[in-house]
Amino acid sequence: MIRVKRLFSNYIFTRIVRAILTIFIVATLTFFIVRLMPGNPVEIYIGQLISQYGMSFQDAKNQAAALFSINLDAPLYEQYLYYMRNLLRGDFGMSFLSQGTPVSTMITAYLPWTIFSVGISILISFSLGIILGMIAAYRRGGLFDHIISTIAAILSAIPNYLIGILLLIIIGVQLGLIPVSAMRGTVSPGVTPGFNLEFIKDIFSHALLPILTYVVSTVGGWTLSMKSSTLNTLGEDYVTVAKARGLSEMRITFSYVGRNALLPLFTSLTMQMGFLMGGSALIESIFVYKGIGWALGASIAQRDYPVMQAVFLIITIAVIVANFIADLFYSKLDPRIKVGGE
Amino acid sequence: MSKRFLAGLISIILVVTLTPLAFAAGEFHGAWPYSPPPVGHYNTYATNNISLGMYWDLMEQPLAMYLWADAKWMPLLATKWSLNRNTNTFRVFLRKGVKWQDGKTFTAKDVVTTFYLGYLYNWAVWRYVDKVTPVDDYTVDFHMGNPAAPMVIERYILRTEIRSDAVYGKYASQVIGLLGQGKTNESEEMKKLRAEFDQFRPEKIVGTGPFILDPKNLTESEATLTKFNGYWDAEKIKFDTIKVYNGETPVVTPLVLSKEVDYATHGFPPATEKQFVQLGIRIIRPPIYSGPAIYFNHNIYPFNIKEVRQAIAYAVKKEENAFVSLGDSAKRQIYMTGLSDNLVPQWISQPVLKRLNKYDYNPDLAAKILTNLGFKKGPDGIWVTDKGTKMEYELLVPAEYADWSAAAENAAEQLTKFGIKTTVRGITYSQFPTEIYQGRFQMAINGWGAAHPHAHFSYYADLITYNYPSGMGPGMNFPLVQTTKSVGKVDLNQLTTQSAEGYDLLKQKKIVEKLALAFNELLPIVPLWERYGNNPALDGVRVTGWPKEGDPIYKNSPYADNFVTIMILNGTLKPVSK
Repeated sequence: MIRVKRLFSNYIFTRIVRAILTIFIVATLTFFIVRLMPGNPVEIYIGQLISQYGMSFQDAKNQAAALFSINLDAPLYEQYLYYMRNLLRGDFGMSFLSQGTPVSTMITAYLPWTIFSVGISILISFSLGIILGMIAAYRRGGLFDHIISTIAAILSAIPNYLIGILLLIIIGVQLGLIPVSAMRGTVSPGVTPGFNLEFIKDIFSHALLPILTYVVSTVGGWTLSMKSSTLNTLGEDYVTVAKARGLSEMRITFSYVGRNALLPLFTSLTMQMGFLMGGSALIESIFVYKGIGWALGASIAQRDYPVMQAVFLIITIAVIVANFIADLFYSKLDPRIKVGGE
Repeated sequence: MSKRFLAGLISIILVVTLTPLAFAAGEFHGAWPYSPPPVGHYNTYATNNISLGMYWDLMEQPLAMYLWADAKWMPLLATKWSLNRNTNTFRVFLRKGVKWQDGKTFTAKDVVTTFYLGYLYNWAVWRYVDKVTPVDDYTVDFHMGNPAAPMVIERYILRTEIRSDAVYGKYASQVIGLLGQGKTNESEEMKKLRAEFDQFRPEKIVGTGPFILDPKNLTESEATLTKFNGYWDAEKIKFDTIKVYNGETPVVTPLVLSKEVDYATHGFPPATEKQFVQLGIRIIRPPIYSGPAIYFNHNIYPFNIKEVRQAIAYAVKKEENAFVSLGDSAKRQIYMTGLSDNLVPQWISQPVLKRLNKYDYNPDLAAKILTNLGFKKGPDGIWVTDKGTKMEYELLVPAEYADWSAAAENAAEQLTKFGIKTTVRGITYSQFPTEIYQGRFQMAINGWGAAHPHAHFSYYADLITYNYPSGMGPGMNFPLVQTTKSVGKVDLNQLTTQSAEGYDLLKQKKIVEKLALAFNELLPIVPLWERYGNNPALDGVRVTGWPKEGDPIYKNSPYADNFVTIMILNGTLKPVSK
């Protein structure tokens, strides 16, 4: 009994239990919510054939009925139990729209590209944001601060898909500086994946515009947060004491101000890392980039329930894990905080 | 610093991507949306296959393609065909000397395989045909248990893309075996086979057409088709490669603007179209044979009164509605028959045409009709029915369809001005059909007509698809047995079915005329305009040879028998460099 009590009072154990419970609730909610969405894959397919191709209803209905070997008429609880049973075995099921394609195959095909592009973007924009934010804070009230803060506020207010479209239209179409068609996608036709210069160069050139879009659309937020956090830290007593002690400006900036100002941003960064699993349906669609966001967008549009469920679940798990990691590492970054009240 | 950064960035971009700027000689660039692997695959029977829409005919070729203006077929894998009315058999003679892209010889077996696998997928042809038999290596008989109009059966048979027996034969023979045992596609065995076949994933498409799609040349961004030198009519094909860019309108637009696409069938908004024209890109406007109409919920009074629907038709200036919705790519319905004005000359005689009401804009007449019904205009300018209810309605529209949304807004504005207060409610396109099927609407903007040369399909779309006989719900609930002034008592459901039955085309035309007159009088729906494509065609950059505007080839429906595909096959389109 005491052992059980001790186990439940163990911070890591309770966090794991809570995480599993959250995942279960999200999986359940996702299952029912996606089915509450109006229209099912068959109806949507019929509608598309009629409205887009002028196909007769009879032909469209025949084609749709035959193409979808899915039973949407089974009782919901049966479908749910079947889904949960498979999920416990780590099986996300098969795509409705591409019979015979396991959802896990789709995830493994799409997810690396999103992690690659969004991961690099977050690292770049976070690094750039903290540097610009710190400089702005140190030069508060000056020209640099005004310019950077204004640009950062503007950029963080513009939706990322709009920045993507603007980049494409201005740099690609109006100025003609980049070949729009050649930069679409994740990799050029004929380029064999592998650890070689040609492949690495190719994937970076394809990811350039999505990365640029993510960076431009998020760097403003990081800059403003870092500026605000740095300003707060600069007013702390320990910084004044450090100055009074005659420590070098460099040491105060990095060891006293920078490190402490970064702490609040660290939580946001880990959350962002979690959300990166979801990618961005709009950005990936604009650049025809085969990431998980693109797959999610397509699956929502066509009501491919298994794919939608799997992607939502992966995002949830990623956010939970990222939070968990953040909690664990926070104590390392800030010795004042102890995990589980140790 | 920022200048240096920008310059550096641009330099990097240019260095890493300069090579793909050049395009190979003899290249045609098109665009079509597709799903790349692992979702996309090469089983051209199953959903999400990578058949590339209009470019599919260049890989897996059909028996023939249709020239709509001439009402004639262009033979491809078939050389001729005939219908034996005594034995109810449609016989197709196949082209000799045709090779598949894997080197095998094309024979009747391939045709048989194609259609029996189609049985597994409830292909419409099997509503009429009950047996497909090879007579010899180059002759196939289609026996009809339920004889259909030649135009209908021809279309179902000749327009089908023929698949390779070497690729699909294993499954087709299982279908034939099960049919031999008396199993239908409702049987468990057949369903099991279909589920198994759905998961069949050939390594690539093997066709008889002039272009090969090597999976290595396909990414999520583009698919490159290369010329098949063993094609039976190879000397007519002037292009070495065809590049098909993946994507829907928003992602294809920048490619068209940067002149990297020679032709696209996507629906571009009028503002984008203007930009294309400013850049010197030509716009081709082929008829789509369908468009938006005002649908009524006939359960709601007074939409069940034909005079009210007629008044609404008079109260809307259809030319204006067409122009604000899609610019020059929308043309008002002239004859208001429920059939495309482009198909009217083939189906309706001059004397009948003269009897049709064009419903030209006439708000005074509309007001007179309503007044005669006992309706009155209230002090707020809104009509009140004889039962005392105000004429205030909601007009439902799929929000994502920009042209239909514009049509809805304009129609609502015009109707409100006339005194029928109309409010537009946009709902997501995926929910829209369900709302209509379930009859959860008052008025709605929905499609009329169909891209099929036989009038039967248009009337099916107008009268049945969103009406109670479809079995999907009450729909608009328009009673199909009606008494008319023009043609007396009619059963529109029966007439629609009869319009495609039997071999007598003249008899079918008489039925279609009856349907046209009844539709014109009853107006179960009010067609607003017919949609025409606004297909950008880039002349002189990579491709040349586009026929002038008005050429009959442009009467072809771009989604059914695309004229560009035909012009690539017959050598009309060619590279600028050759």
